Amino acid sequence: MQHLILSLSPTSVPGTLVTNTVLVGGVALLHVLFATFLIGSCTLVALSEGISMVTKDERHERLARSLVHAWGYIFSTGAAIAIFFVVFVLVGMWGRFFVSFQQFTFWVWFFEALTFVGEIVLLYTLYANWERLRAYRLARLGMVLLLNIDQWFQMFLIDVIASQMLTPTVQGATDNISYMLQFLNPTNLPLTIHRTIGNIAWAGALVALVSAFQYLRVTRREEAPALVPRQRSVVRALGAMPEGELVRERNREAAYWDWAGQWGMLFAFGLTIIQIWVGYSYAKEIQLHSLDSWYQMMYGWISNIFLAQFAGLGLIFIFGVAYFWQRLKAAGQHTVARRHQIALILLILLWLFGIQPAWFAGSYPDIVAAHLAKPFWDGGLEDPFGFFFPWKVMVLIADLLIALYALWSYIRARVRTPMTMGQATRSSQRLLIGMAVVVGLMMLIMGIIRESSRSPYLVNQNITISHQVILQQPAPNIPLSQRPIGP
Amino acid sequence: MRDRTVGSEVPVPAEPEEKGDFIGLVPAPIVGPFRRSWAWFDDRTGITGLLYKGLYEAVPKQGGWAYTLGSATLVVIIVQFFTGIFLLLDYVPSVTNAYSSLLYLRTDDLFGDWIRGIHLWGAYVLMLLIGVHALRTFISASYKKPRELNWISGVMLFFLVLAMAITGAMLPWDQAAYWTATVVTNIPHYLPVIGNGVRTLWRGGNFVGPVTLTRTFALHIWVLPALLLGLIGGHLYLLRRHGEFGSWVNYRTTTDNPAREIAERIRHAEPPYPTRGTEPLYSVPSETVDFFPDQLFKDTVVSLVLVVFIFVMGLISGAPLDGPANPATLTYVPTPEWFYLPLDQLLVFFPTQLVGFGVFVIVGIGATLMLALPFIDRNPDRHPIRRPDVLVPAFFFIGTVIYLALLGVNRLYNL
Repeated sequence: MQHLILSLSPTSVPGTLVTNTVLVGGVALLHVLFATFLIGSCTLVALSEGISMVTKDERHERLARSLVHAWGYIFSTGAAIAIFFVVFVLVGMWGRFFVSFQQFTFWVWFFEALTFVGEIVLLYTLYANWERLRAYRLARLGMVLLLNIDQWFQMFLIDVIASQMLTPTVQGATDNISYMLQFLNPTNLPLTIHRTIGNIAWAGALVALVSAFQYLRVTRREEAPALVPRQRSVVRALGAMPEGELVRERNREAAYWDWAGQWGMLFAFGLTIIQIWVGYSYAKEIQLHSLDSWYQMMYGWISNIFLAQFAGLGLIFIFGVAYFWQRLKAAGQHTVARRHQIALILLILLWLFGIQPAWFAGSYPDIVAAHLAKPFWDGGLEDPFGFFFPWKVMVLIADLLIALYALWSYIRARVRTPMTMGQATRSSQRLLIGMAVVVGLMMLIMGIIRESSRSPYLVNQNITISHQVILQQPAPNIPLSQRPIGP
Repeated sequence: MRDRTVGSEVPVPAEPEEKGDFIGLVPAPIVGPFRRSWAWFDDRTGITGLLYKGLYEAVPKQGGWAYTLGSATLVVIIVQFFTGIFLLLDYVPSVTNAYSSLLYLRTDDLFGDWIRGIHLWGAYVLMLLIGVHALRTFISASYKKPRELNWISGVMLFFLVLAMAITGAMLPWDQAAYWTATVVTNIPHYLPVIGNGVRTLWRGGNFVGPVTLTRTFALHIWVLPALLLGLIGGHLYLLRRHGEFGSWVNYRTTTDNPAREIAERIRHAEPPYPTRGTEPLYSVPSETVDFFPDQLFKDTVVSLVLVVFIFVMGLISGAPLDGPANPATLTYVPTPEWFYLPLDQLLVFFPTQLVGFGVFVIVGIGATLMLALPFIDRNPDRHPIRRPDVLVPAFFFIGTVIYLALLGVNRLYNL
């Protein structure tokens, strides 16, 4: 099989290395946005459906229904992109790599395909019969949970592939690796947890985004001269509601979208707090098991993209706490709002402090040359946690603590004094939109960072990008006179 | 429900027919010959009154299976005490004989290896049980006024059991035990000022040696069990004083006039209810049953299942024994027990200079927050959905612990 792969002519692959790389990156990232939303939103649907069954809260029921209805469009588009990705991009342009990689990850791909079938069956059944299954809510919830398990397993399997490419279980070996060891390669678990949390946060952010747009639409119609006599007569002529009912309906809608935006936002914000810690552990595992890739991320050309990730993380917290502040102020909880205002100022200062490029302090070799490669308590510039610069880690820890406090105090304030929904300011909704956009960008940037850090390898230390071939094991150093004679 | 006015205040001898109720569980031909002896014994000890008081306490009716974890924990602790006593019959706490005494126990002593397996699996199950019991108590907000001390004593019991486990792991004096002792006894030195002194005190010198083993042995079989027994007694006393809280489901009102319904409940409450020092709503469960036989039956079933599981696992899996301790080895990689994996993995993220920060500051803050929980969460509501201000940070904390444990497992596979 290996001979067959190696005998393939590189010229048979259409496109140049650059176009192929750009295409694979572009299509994969597009697919990621759809797939991750589906996985994350499935968890949100299960949660909302469960809560609405226990509490009879109609808002949760409506949110679950809306998300399931959106699945039909999102899944069909995302699946089409995935099929295009595998058939044309991977097989067509990166055939050597894909086929050889399949050799030692065959069963992972096989079960990945099976979960795809399961996803089709469950997702379309729910999409087409959500209302009909209303009489059997427990069964409906059960199906949603099954879909969750299917999708999580699917993501786990694709993470085996992604993490195996970055930190292969056995460096330098391409085959004869047990599947158990592939599953337990050093970065699979942190990547899976990182993605699970990220997917739910992304789904929450999109819920917040749509809700914010809807809230702005509903409240704009209320503020604008929507009820001038001419329009009113048109509405009446169409057999719509009378004016008072129309206003009440709009208020109800505003209350719902205000609530839904806040609900989604709590997931996007709250889970991103956890990402600091999980992301750190992920980076640590990469540092321990694939130092070259880690060095690329932190000090190579990718460090600039990583800096964008760092900036995005800070912006999510800034937008989130600004939203808390605005929302608490609108609810008349001025004392707690003031605390959030202080937290916001601190976060902005930390953000400005943290986004300084590493090269402000010189490159790592510069630091070594200046004899500053020692912990900061010894007067050096080396971070106590590894090679990071100290202020980056300190900013992350401070961000984590402040964001955790902000979330906790917001929830506490909401519990102690019930908040009337529908009173949010329009600017608070714009903050939600800003936060959701940043979360989406973070999803893309993270993929770029991870996949580019292996360069020039497709599978770290195994298959290069430029040749798509499996590197041979180096020959043993046998003196010329003792080498075996023959072909 | 029976009338328990007799015997509930003063342990006076009960009436014969009431005694018959209690002894009535045993077939008459068996009880008959002992009736007079029992009366004699009861006259001198007041045992019947005490048994009545213990067995016929009211407990919440709904959700009884969830309240079996405390009793099951007690049962497993008793199993640990008994198996520990059996192990003491063979074990020699000296660096020259500890390992060989366990080899003897394994090969020459009938059931010796099984008893050791039960002791190990009992410890594993105990860890899980206490964790789940604490989680149940936390979710149902059973730690709130006036049960703060129940919670605090429970948390301290958890810490003591962890200490029992880690000191027990050092006793076999095989490779795993020796290197565990080396790592664990080194931890105190990260404490500022007194750290080195504590390490020297525990080790009996600068290095792990014979004195380390005897001191750890003393801690494991005398100091920690004594503290454990005292705390268990206090925990049970407090439980009986305030009554089992159960959870919010036991305090729902069903009528249109909740105030009247609650007042009726308080009027008809049976000991130990109404609980003093709490809101009227949470002072008496809506429905109660006698501890005996209703709750005791459930407790027995759960405890029995767990004990059978421990015995079976002790037989099938047993307890590992590495090669004898070899301080000179360079190849042995010590791995922690699964319940210490989160802490071990946390320390992987810290450089040497900051291990003390990780161990004492982060873990210390976590432990303090656990102990102080009843004083932090002042919200009178008990329903978990209406307590997100404590549940969200708690799940963040629990999620972190689980994640660290999983990372630790992954790391061990990639050593």
